Amino acid sequence: MFQAGLQEQLQKALGELKSALDLQSLYEVKVRFTGKQGVLSEIMKEMAKLPKEEKPAFGKLVNEVKSSFETAYGQREVEIQNQELSAKVERESIDVTLPGVQEFRGGRHPIHMVIKESVEILSRLGYAVRTGPQIEQDWYNFEALNIPPDHPSRDMQDTFYIDEKHVLRTHTSPVQIHALLKDKLPLRVLAPGSVFRCDSDVSHSPNFHQIEGLLVDRQVSMADLKGTITFMLGELFGKSVKVRFRPSFFPFTEPSAEFDCSCPMCAGKGCRMCKHSGWIEIGGCGLVNPRVFEAVKIDPNAWQGFAFGFGIERMAIIKYGIDDIRNFYENDLRFLRQFSI
Amino acid sequence: MKISLSWLCDHIDVADFVSRPEELARQLTAVGLEVEAVENRARQFAHVVVGHIKKLERHPNADRLTVCQVDAGEGSLRQIVCGAKNHKEGDKVVVTLPGAVLPGNFEIKKSKIRDVESLGMLASESELGLKAESEGILILPADAPVGQPFASYFGLDDVIFEINVTANRGDCLSHLGLARELSAVLGRPLISKAPEMRRAAQVSTRSQVGLEVKDKGLCSRYAGQLISGVKVGPSPTWLKKRLESVGMNSINNVVDVTNYVMMDMGQPLHAFDVANLNGKKISVDRSAAGEVFRTLDGTDLKLTGDELTIRDGERAVCIAGVIGGLNSGVTEKTTTVFLESAHFAMDSVRKTARRFGLETDSAYRFSRGTDASMVPQALMKAAQFIQEVAGGEVAADHWDELAKPLTKPAIALSTDLVEQRLGYKVSDEDLEAWLRRLQCQVQKASDRQFQVTPPLFRQDLEQAVDLIEEYGRLKGYDLIPETLPKMDYAPLASNTDYLFEDRVAGLLQAEGFLQTVNYGFLNDKAQAALLGSSAAYKAAGLQLPETPVMVKNPLNEDVNAMRISLLPGLLKNLLLNYRHSLETGRLFETGWVFKKSGEEFVEEGRVALVAWGQPSSLWNKNTATPMFFEVKRAVQALFDRLLIQGLQFQAWNGEVPSLLHPAQAATLFAEGRALGFVASLHPKWLVEEKVRVPVAVAEIDLTQLKRGQPRLVKYQPISKFPAVERDLAFVMPKTLATAEVCKEIKKISGGLLQSVDVFDVFSGGQLAESEVSVSFKMIFQDHEGTLTDEKLQGLQKQITEGVTKKLSIRVR
Repeated sequence: MFQAGLQEQLQKALGELKSALDLQSLYEVKVRFTGKQGVLSEIMKEMAKLPKEEKPAFGKLVNEVKSSFETAYGQREVEIQNQELSAKVERESIDVTLPGVQEFRGGRHPIHMVIKESVEILSRLGYAVRTGPQIEQDWYNFEALNIPPDHPSRDMQDTFYIDEKHVLRTHTSPVQIHALLKDKLPLRVLAPGSVFRCDSDVSHSPNFHQIEGLLVDRQVSMADLKGTITFMLGELFGKSVKVRFRPSFFPFTEPSAEFDCSCPMCAGKGCRMCKHSGWIEIGGCGLVNPRVFEAVKIDPNAWQGFAFGFGIERMAIIKYGIDDIRNFYENDLRFLRQFSI
Repeated sequence: MKISLSWLCDHIDVADFVSRPEELARQLTAVGLEVEAVENRARQFAHVVVGHIKKLERHPNADRLTVCQVDAGEGSLRQIVCGAKNHKEGDKVVVTLPGAVLPGNFEIKKSKIRDVESLGMLASESELGLKAESEGILILPADAPVGQPFASYFGLDDVIFEINVTANRGDCLSHLGLARELSAVLGRPLISKAPEMRRAAQVSTRSQVGLEVKDKGLCSRYAGQLISGVKVGPSPTWLKKRLESVGMNSINNVVDVTNYVMMDMGQPLHAFDVANLNGKKISVDRSAAGEVFRTLDGTDLKLTGDELTIRDGERAVCIAGVIGGLNSGVTEKTTTVFLESAHFAMDSVRKTARRFGLETDSAYRFSRGTDASMVPQALMKAAQFIQEVAGGEVAADHWDELAKPLTKPAIALSTDLVEQRLGYKVSDEDLEAWLRRLQCQVQKASDRQFQVTPPLFRQDLEQAVDLIEEYGRLKGYDLIPETLPKMDYAPLASNTDYLFEDRVAGLLQAEGFLQTVNYGFLNDKAQAALLGSSAAYKAAGLQLPETPVMVKNPLNEDVNAMRISLLPGLLKNLLLNYRHSLETGRLFETGWVFKKSGEEFVEEGRVALVAWGQPSSLWNKNTATPMFFEVKRAVQALFDRLLIQGLQFQAWNGEVPSLLHPAQAATLFAEGRALGFVASLHPKWLVEEKVRVPVAVAEIDLTQLKRGQPRLVKYQPISKFPAVERDLAFVMPKTLATAEVCKEIKKISGGLLQSVDVFDVFSGGQLAESEVSVSFKMIFQDHEGTLTDEKLQGLQKQITEGVTKKLSIRVR
């Protein structure tokens, strides 16, 4: 009789577990069935009335019922928990196409990006950065670089004067002189910086930027120079660019050359950037003129060198396809935001 | 410089390049004479020929048109419809055939005009680009050969090269000079012709015009030739055309010859009217200081005593090598000419030309160096041509005063050095052959050793490396291989200014600021007006000069002074953006400012920031934060990342610069030094510039900031014990800086305090007008053990009592 009643109670409780829809009502079923005043406790009180020999079997039966209930309870609990989690996930659905939190995004100016990249590339070849003043002594800017006063080569660079002895440096080449005077030989240095020329039109700004490279060692050749420039431009524009030297004239180098690279925009096929020539003029270079060594009291028979220089704005124009040099100095947010390092 | 291919052919046979001038241009560019443009006139007139109108009829469908049957030398007649009125049967005309492209990209095609086929066009001068305007078609003389290409008939079949001659190659500024270069490049001989002329035995230059070269330093050679009985007038067509082809205007036959010989041989000449040479003498000497000289074109110049002049018995008649005088030039009345050919010092001519802004063709050539050995040859050639085009008798003798013999020292050259410097194998034979092509005298001293004497016209060849360049460029730079130099020494350390500036820029980028680049110069008055009193910035540790460094020859007044602060540039950027409706932005610049201190120019590194407008986006609508704190955040982050401890924002000590908001300006202090400032802009500026969003700025001295950088991170072990947070609120007068309270809390707490921050500021409500309630969050931590409640409570009590007592404020 007890047995039948016990099974009936169990079935009833299992039914209640199924119909419980949340963890609270589920727990209430548990309290009703296995709690201190629950169904099972009541039944256990009845057990006292049983004959002694029946007690063990009954006790075992009660434990079995209890364990069946608890297994079912545990399963139902996980079920409800999962349902609730699904419902929560459902509720928390968002429109992932809404904008992200908008913070200000910082950035580097393209001039500085090209400087930084060039410095990094040349650093790998052992070059160290050097700087020099922008208000420069005539001697450093011209005379020590084999550009005597009233020499026609002064016409190459329209100069802003500060006073009789000082100019706004017209190129980064005077940093060569500072390095030759201060640093120990052999050396490899590069000098990025701001320079000034007295002309201004669509393609020229009176204040612009250059990078200068200088290497001095016991024996230095045009082949070393060409190899270095090819490596540098390959790193900047991609390994497939080719480098071409054209004879030119700079008072502080001899032999002198201008260097071009095959147009990175059209791979040398010809486009607007390279004026359909397939080549782009990059900068000037050459072997250090012995006169420069003489000016800084270095024995030109004991030391040789090469130097090269190019315009940063020009590099940025080529690298990023910038169409107007004025963009660099207007600092329009819509321009600046396009560059990331 | 313009070079005519047909003119070049007077000196070297390059006629084969007429059909392929680009190849010649390529070869010139490859040796360093950069050809910037090739004007191929023959090609411009392709499919344009001389024609003969054999038959002329009215157009059946149009009264104003004619139908012409034209012989264009093709064997059969060509039907062309023409709208002009000035032609008749039998006329010789210019026929443009289908395929011709006339100036203005006007392409000639086969067409039908009012149902009548037209196989070309009869052209007018304006259609051919010969004149801006013309009436009717061009009618040619009756003897014009039918079928001849128009370009050759009209003498337009020349090719003009525009060449960029580098400053060292003065010898290439003429047709002869370029021919010499081509002779070396192409290995072809030069053509030379001795001048032929009639001399008048009874006329003597020397007895009619005296010569005295007083300044032999500036005039190393002076030659003169008298020509009498000339008839000044227009030049013949061939002479005019040649001058026009290289961009020169025809003046009269005598002056044209001097210009012609200059363009031909590179030697500038001058012709004087002997009738106007007072005292019948020439003296070469410096000017008298204060002397006024009127140039050929009527400009008065006040001479300084420094210029070299050509003088007659009384006065200056020419500024040597630069420009002639109005008092002695050749005019229609001239009958006796004194022709000058001389060598003047290049630096002196350049200086004078620059001083007066007279960049004449003559001055250009003298200042790039002319060849003194050419002086008599040019004189003779000019005399011959003057006789040819203006008649007259060339005097039997001429002047030629040479200061010292013309020689050039030999240069020792080793083949090994050539090989080492160029980076490829070089043989003695090849080196010698190329140097000879350049007209160098080459003597082999021994194996792999030469003594090389360059020709006199090559003033640029002085050292062994000059010869190495010559060999290298003629062989072609494409031969140079590519190698990477070996490095068997330690690299140098990089300049720390560059590294630091780059690091600061990177840190500000991380704070959301965009880097700008502005000019180093600007307008002095605008800079002064914007920044206000420069002394006021001293409190912020920035030493702005009272007067900026000025540029002596500015491009214009907008860029006449060096900047003393980065703010003018950044605020200009702000305004440009704001005017483009970009109402919020964050910019910074790292750069240099300039001043003069005593006799020295000083350049200081600066970093400056500007922030304007609050962001307003879906997730961030907090527009109440004062802009000051946006800049303060970035500045704090910068100092933090640079490991600079104890940054303090202090109220401005003294007068606040007029650009800044006097109640929202703070000077920056760290490690006992003022380093710069953070401030909002004065509302006055905002109103004047019509900026309707708040703006805050900062400017910091990079040199000061860089002290002790880079600093090493000192690792702090992380405490194993829990940190405890406690809040405290004080009611205090608005005039008391919260930093004072923080300072006091720190002082009392000692090492247990991890941090103290303000997390709420409240005024109004129950508080008095002058009061404000400020809530502080403190984090305590003991590295030795867990903080006990008693210890904490004790500390809190100490803080409450200490702060209220010290600062006379109360706990809320």
